[in-house]
Amino acid sequence: MKKLLALLLVGAMSLSMVACGGSSAPAAEEAPAATEEVATEAPAEEAADTAVAADITLWTYPVGGFGDAAKLQAVLDAFAAAYPDINVSVEYIDYQSGDDQVTSAIEAGTTPDLILEGPERLVANWGAKGKMVDLGDLWTEEVTADIVANSAAVEAACKSPDGVYYEYPLCMTTHTMVINKGVFEAADALQYINEDGTWTTENFEKALTAVKESGLVQQTGIVYCGGQGGDQGTRALAMNLYSGQFTNAEHTEWTMNNEAGVKGLQQLVDWCEAGILDNDPGIVAGDEIPLFTNGTIAMSFCWNAAMPITHAEALAASGVEAMPVAFPSEDGVPELCGGIWGFGIFDNGDAAKIEAAKTFIKFVCDDEAQAPESVKISGYFPVKASLGNVYAGTEDEARMTTFANFAPWLGGYYNVTLGWAEQRTAWWNLLQQIFAGDDVQAAADAYAETCNAATAAAAGN
Amino acid sequence: MSKKNTAPKRSRVLVMRETRVSYLFLLPALIFFIGFVIVPMILCLVTSFFKYTMGEFTFIGIKNYVEMFKDPIFLVALKNTIMLVVVTVPAVTLFSLWVGASIYNMNAFTRSFFRCVFYLPVVTGSVAVSVVWKWMFNKYNGLFNNVLVNTGLMDEKISWLGDERFAIWCIIIIMFTTYVGQPIVLYVAALGNVDPSLTEAAEVDGATKLQTFWQIKWPSIMPTTLYVVIITTINTFQCYALIQLLTSGGPNHSTETIMYYIYYQAFKLNNYGYGNAMGIFLAIVIAIFSAVQLKVGQSND
Repeated sequence: MKKLLALLLVGAMSLSMVACGGSSAPAAEEAPAATEEVATEAPAEEAADTAVAADITLWTYPVGGFGDAAKLQAVLDAFAAAYPDINVSVEYIDYQSGDDQVTSAIEAGTTPDLILEGPERLVANWGAKGKMVDLGDLWTEEVTADIVANSAAVEAACKSPDGVYYEYPLCMTTHTMVINKGVFEAADALQYINEDGTWTTENFEKALTAVKESGLVQQTGIVYCGGQGGDQGTRALAMNLYSGQFTNAEHTEWTMNNEAGVKGLQQLVDWCEAGILDNDPGIVAGDEIPLFTNGTIAMSFCWNAAMPITHAEALAASGVEAMPVAFPSEDGVPELCGGIWGFGIFDNGDAAKIEAAKTFIKFVCDDEAQAPESVKISGYFPVKASLGNVYAGTEDEARMTTFANFAPWLGGYYNVTLGWAEQRTAWWNLLQQIFAGDDVQAAADAYAETCNAATAAAAGN
Repeated sequence: MSKKNTAPKRSRVLVMRETRVSYLFLLPALIFFIGFVIVPMILCLVTSFFKYTMGEFTFIGIKNYVEMFKDPIFLVALKNTIMLVVVTVPAVTLFSLWVGASIYNMNAFTRSFFRCVFYLPVVTGSVAVSVVWKWMFNKYNGLFNNVLVNTGLMDEKISWLGDERFAIWCIIIIMFTTYVGQPIVLYVAALGNVDPSLTEAAEVDGATKLQTFWQIKWPSIMPTTLYVVIITTINTFQCYALIQLLTSGGPNHSTETIMYYIYYQAFKLNNYGYGNAMGIFLAIVIAIFSAVQLKVGQSND
């Protein structure tokens, strides 16, 4: 009896082990935890004529509405109707853990076929390391001219220094800062902002003083530096004050230790010491924005076209009227950081999947009917001039027109400089050091040295 | 004669069969242990001798280890990690012993209540705990600043997690609250298992409460203390989540720990070989600390 029981138990365990570990199905068939399979059961006669048939996976960072399953579903449904032989599985990743997930997937050989993000990852990181597919065939002369007509910086950002396109862009925006209009009005500080949303460094200081003296908020603004979250805001702030440049024109060398850059950093330290601005190495943009939306502070350095929607509830609850403005600069002509988002394809060595992924990209970004819808879902602006104003006649038109006015000040896309990951960490460490009292020039020199060493290492020098 | 020989043979066969069945029962766990612990450890050791990045895999001998001790951030991380261990382990052990000794002989309801209170942070999860602590430490709307400023104990608000002087202590406080739960439960159980006849005999012989505790109870709960000290040491050495969620190693590397720096090198910079070398070093340090604690604990037993 005992023997029989033991045999049964051993048999059960062996079976369970075989069931647990014996699958030889390809990785692509194993749906990731947070995966949503798109039904593609449209009748064949309704489908577009296509020879491509494959199961592909898409990982998407929260690029506006592309991080919202309900909104993305509309795109997937339209694609499924047009290409019933291509199944698209989606996994939603975030900026906190997404990079780690992709890194793990690359090392494990389980990368998705498609990914939606910006050139700093697709081109300067994974592309530069040979993990991405060359999308040159999608960049036809017509497409290139269409994108360049809108912004030459977009085209330049999507290709590597040796001219290989690793990203096919869909949408873009300019990163701005935002002020609490009610507080500025009450503090009589709106007078320092030009009608077009620009202001000079001198007027910015006057506005900080006026808002501080009004006592309407706990603090005017906070230069957050607790991590890399939202660092585009603090970079744009420091860079614009005296028209410094983060990199050289070729994006091959980090240059914020030059005179203008150091002057801007020193100015931030001086304002903090004077008490008209604050710094906090304990928070990142994700902590700073709620302080703005709940009325604790009068401005945020991390804002863009999608933010009014993302934070609509908090703004409505506090009654804060968010007014986007450009970063202040000495001459009143800002150079704003941009965001460019699009698709890249991981090189998994499967020609059919790569072809299917390209079909998906072309449908989402190029299809006459779908492309404007895709851009609207993102909440940003089209990279193609031919798409025009996709928000015309919609409830978003007024908001998007406000942000569209900042487009002329879009600066170079230096995020594609090699060594970007090291630079991001070095930047918030630099801010922490100078706010702790370190010499600004020495800290900026050390920062530039760290970044340039990383750039040289990444370039294989 | 043949009967005499058959009996031990049959018993040997039976023993063999039982041993085989026992090993078969162990097999599933063993396979998982080998697959998810032993193999990664070996891979970690092997790749620590390589320049292993996302695009390169070149043998470089002990260069990663040499580089490690020239890396100023690693040395700061090592110093911070050792400081965390030196402060946290005695604090957790003594506090949990005190709480355990205070509540083990209370009535069942009160004892369970205290166990629940202290164990709650353990089961809550580090992300939720970190979010709450981050709010309490917040400079502008945080609980501590509001209370301390409004009661006049402080003149101005402090960025607790953003100030080099306080950040590491904030981490220690959070670690302390999340680490004491399990030792308290263990001490309550261990103290409850001390033979009452021994303590009664000591009391009859005129021993004071303190003498009874140190001479009778303390030796009886030494194995528990040893376990608590070793587990707390290992957990503290491996402190990562709190740093990742609260400070990213800042301000100015004042809360950088080895585990967080390993993560940063491996996942942010893709320096897998270098990260693995630091991982091997950390494993050796933990092994040495644990061995010393075990030896000291056994000699006191």
